[in-house]
Formats: sequence, C-alpha cells, structure tokens
Amino acid sequence: MFTKRNTITYAIAFLLILALNFLLPRMMPGDPLMAIYGNEALIAMTPELKAHLVERFALDQPLWQQFGAYLLALVQGDLGHSYYYNSPVSSVVLGRLPWTLLLVGTALIISTLLGIVLGIESGWRRGSRRDKSLLVSLMTVSGFPDFFLGILLLIGFGVTWGIFPLSGAITPYSGLSGAALVLDVLHHLFLPLTALTLCHIGASYLLTRNTMVTVLKNPYILMAKAKGLPDWTIRYQHAGRNALLPVITRTGIQLGRMVTGAIFVEIVFAYPGLGYLTYEALLARDYPILQGVLLIVAFSVLIANFLVDLSYSKLDPRIRYAH
Amino acid sequence: MHINFKQEVRHSKFAMFGIVMLLLLLIIAIFGPLLTPYQPNTQTPFAFEPPSFNHWLGTNHVGQDILSQLIYGARTSLLVGFSAAFLAIILSAIIGTSAALAGGLYDKIVMRIVDAFIVIPAIIVIILVAAYLKPNLLVLILLLALLGWQDGARTIRAQALSLKELGHISAARSFGAGNLYLIFRHILPDLVPILLMGFIYGVRRAIFMEAGLAFLGIADPTTVSWGMMMHEALDFCYLNVWRWWLIPPGVALSLTILSVTGIGHTLEGALDPRLRSEANA
Repeated sequence: MFTKRNTITYAIAFLLILALNFLLPRMMPGDPLMAIYGNEALIAMTPELKAHLVERFALDQPLWQQFGAYLLALVQGDLGHSYYYNSPVSSVVLGRLPWTLLLVGTALIISTLLGIVLGIESGWRRGSRRDKSLLVSLMTVSGFPDFFLGILLLIGFGVTWGIFPLSGAITPYSGLSGAALVLDVLHHLFLPLTALTLCHIGASYLLTRNTMVTVLKNPYILMAKAKGLPDWTIRYQHAGRNALLPVITRTGIQLGRMVTGAIFVEIVFAYPGLGYLTYEALLARDYPILQGVLLIVAFSVLIANFLVDLSYSKLDPRIRYAH
Repeated sequence: MHINFKQEVRHSKFAMFGIVMLLLLLIIAIFGPLLTPYQPNTQTPFAFEPPSFNHWLGTNHVGQDILSQLIYGARTSLLVGFSAAFLAIILSAIIGTSAALAGGLYDKIVMRIVDAFIVIPAIIVIILVAAYLKPNLLVLILLLALLGWQDGARTIRAQALSLKELGHISAARSFGAGNLYLIFRHILPDLVPILLMGFIYGVRRAIFMEAGLAFLGIADPTTVSWGMMMHEALDFCYLNVWRWWLIPPGVALSLTILSVTGIGHTLEGALDPRLRSEANA
C-alpha cells in the first residue's frame, strides 16, 4: 500500500518535471528553436540544419506529437546537443558529474557524522553550558546562506592568507599523478567541502538532539544508570543508538538539499561540477545544457528520495503499520 | 492549541533578537529613500571609491553608491520574502483545509499532488523557469509562492483533520453549519499557530531563494538586491573592495535569515510539547 502510493507520487513528480522541461522552451515567444538550442545554435544554423532540427523535434507537428518525439529522445538517452560545447549534453554532464558526487558525498558523510556526535553530546545534558553554546553556534552557522559562507572562506583562506586555491578542482597542466594528484584534489576540495559541511551540520545535529531528548526519558535509560554503567556507554550505546534511526533516514532527504546547496558553493569556488556547469550555461544561455543538468539533478533527487522512502518503511516497522 | 505567544517570545533571547532585528530592517526598508541621498541605480563615473564621508560604503564598479544599494536591497528582500510567504500560506490553508474537510476522492487527488510537489526539488525548478522567464519582482513572488505551498498544505491538512473530530465541531455541524462556515469560524482560528509558523519558514525560504537567484544572476537586473550585489562583487574579490562591497550584503542577508530562524525556532519549540520546557529556558 505504502509503496504503491509512493510510486504514484513519484510518477506524478516525474511527469511534472518532464512537462515543465518540455513546455517551457516551447511556450516562449519567438522561435522555439532558439529557446531549445540557445544563442550559440543560431550562429551555426544553416537551412539544412534547421530542417533537420525541426524534423527531429517534430516542431511542425501538433504539441502532443512533439511531446512524443521529446520522450522518445529521452528514452534513448539523448539529452540534446550543446552548440556551446559542440558535443552531446549527456557527455558534458557526465564529465562534470564525478566532481559533484565527490563534493556532495563527502560533505553528506562528514556533516551527518559530526551532526550526530554533536547532537548526542548536546542532548545528553540539555540546558548545560556546552549544549547552549553548541546550539547557538550551529544555529548561527546553518542560518548563513551557503554561498555567503563559501565567500567568507574564500576571502579568508584563499584571498587573504592564500592557504587554499581560489578556484577549480585540480591544478591545470600540472601533470601530477599518484599521491601528489590526490593531495592536489583534496587541497582544492577543502574549502568548498567545509562550506557545504558547515551549512548542513545543523539539520542532523538538531534532529539528533531533539530525538535524544525523547529517548533519554525512556525507562531503559534509568535502568542503565541504575546498573551503574559508565556515562559514555549509556550516552552512545543506549541513547545515541536509538536516536540514530530518524537521522539516518533523514540523511537521504538531505541529499536533495545538499545537491542544490552544492550548486551555489560550486559557483563561489568555480568548482567544475554540475552546479558550476549550470552557472556557465546560464551565462552562455546554453539552454540544452541547462535543461539537461536540471533534468538529471531533479531525477537523481527524486530517485534518492524514493529509495529513502522505501527504506524508511523497511527500517521502522511502525511506519509500515501506520499506512 | 492555545499558546501564549507573547510569553514564549519574551522568554527567548533568540526570538527577541529576531523580532528586534526584523523591526529594524522593516524601518530601514520603509524609510530607505530618506536615509540616503543617492539612487541605488544611478551610475556615476566615480567607480571603486573606498568608503568616505560622501559614500559610507564606497562605490561599486559602475559608480553606484553601495550603502544605497544595501538599503534598497532590504526592501527587495523583505518584499519578496513576506509577500511570497503570505501567498504561499494562503494557498496552503485553502488546499489543506479543503482537503481535510471534503475528504474522499478530492482529498486523495490533492494529496498526491501535494506529495509530488514535496519531492520535487523546488530550487532547481525555479532556476529553470527563471532562466527562461527572466522574472520581474511580481513574477518572482508568484513563482516562489507557487512552489512554496506544499509543506504547509500537508501540515495544515493533518491539523485540520484532528480538529475536525473535536466535539465543538461536530456540535456546530449538527446545528447545520456548512463546510465554509466551519472553516472560517472554527478551524482557521485554531490553525493560527501553525499558519504563523508556516509563514515564518516561508519567509525564510523566499528570502533565501530570492538571494540565491539574484546571486546566480537570473533575477531582474533592474531590481537592486543583496544577492545581485554579491554576484557583482564576487568578480572583484581579488581586490580589497570585498570589505565594503561583498561583506555588507552577505552579513545583512545572514542576519535577516538568522532573525527569521530565531522567531521560527521559538514558535516551533512552543508548538512541540516535548521541546516546550526548552523554549522557556
């Protein structure tokens, strides 16, 4: 039941995004070819190319047949052609994807782990000085817009002190390999990673802390204390472990916010992932890339959410019975 | 759901900070033109001037007074934040209460759409639409509202469903009260705390997204906004102009979002009995 309902939800979301992606350029005033292919294409446009494109997108057909042609191309993995990069959109996007995965994946793991540990420490003695200072500082940090946090780090560590590189993911034309290459990548990764991690600790921290508050009221905590178990055993093995479930499942939901957060952080550091690609496409009015990236990101977020929803009902039997 | 907001807020430093900050910003936004002799959009030949008596925060790359831009930016931020959140929460209230009260097929269909909107990453859709439409302020507000109602609608429906079962509602119904009467007379007043919270978080979301879009350079270029200032200033971050050009709008934006968060966090604590004792701490 739960799965079926979910599947319908995601199917609707899927269709909404597809329809938007399809309709937007075709609803724009002026030549749809221009809106579909961007400025760059018009420069390269010849009558033959134009005829070819019109035929491929069925632009002389009624709207529903155009939608059919659009879907058919998508199913075949054809996201269109970028005249700015002069290569298929899918290959441009795939080339940038690893950087975003590296950035977002690492940030997700670090921020979740840190958030859990800090949340457990904070919730254990709620109202103590340590709890209050943690709460205030983390709330403050997560209140910062991600790009501004990135800018502060960039100005501090990059511009002023020059400890970290200002932009990019590797030193260009350095010909590094092996350990030196890994170090170089980490060196470039550090600042964007810190910005993204700092922005997202708050969520898992608050959730862990609030769950700890509820968990600590359970009789088994009192029992553990009565048994004379050491503090940290109760804190981590009894309370912390039980406070973990909602956090772990929320981590997947975080993924979506993280990817969009990464868009802004990548732009600040000119980090060559999907976010920076989006920005370049916006500047160049390269609509095929823009559409392709946003379609892929939206779909990945949808799929991640779907998997989380599925695992959520598996992990917590109460959810399954509730539906 | 009867909560003494005044008391909750007075006991929380975070919320007091938020309210004082927001009031201050509101005053700056309203009386902005009186506070500065310059128009934020007037270009002058005096570019890249450091702070001086005439230009407290210097001028930017096309000779515009940065302080005036900062002040007018507060207008944009607050206008977009409050109106988009207001429209969104009205949409949520209409959709949530009607789904809860009507039930049946209508409820089922509406909730599937709500769920679909919840899982769609809104910022990505907004970037895409904004890239094509080049929205002016009004379109931007509408766009943010249209993509910001779903979470509120879900909470409001859940709350309205439980309110619906209460004794005084069935009593009113047995006296012949219609759905509309019930909504306006009995359900909505009890929903005020939840609506308020949805509104507060909506404001934060909208301010954040407006700044983000402007930072990406896809907002209306004639509207002065903090995000746009940062977008322009970032290109010159290797010069020392960031001290008076890049940092002020960032700090202003962060403080605004922080003060809204402060109010929201206190309200949330007040609404959640498990965290309640803490909100008073």
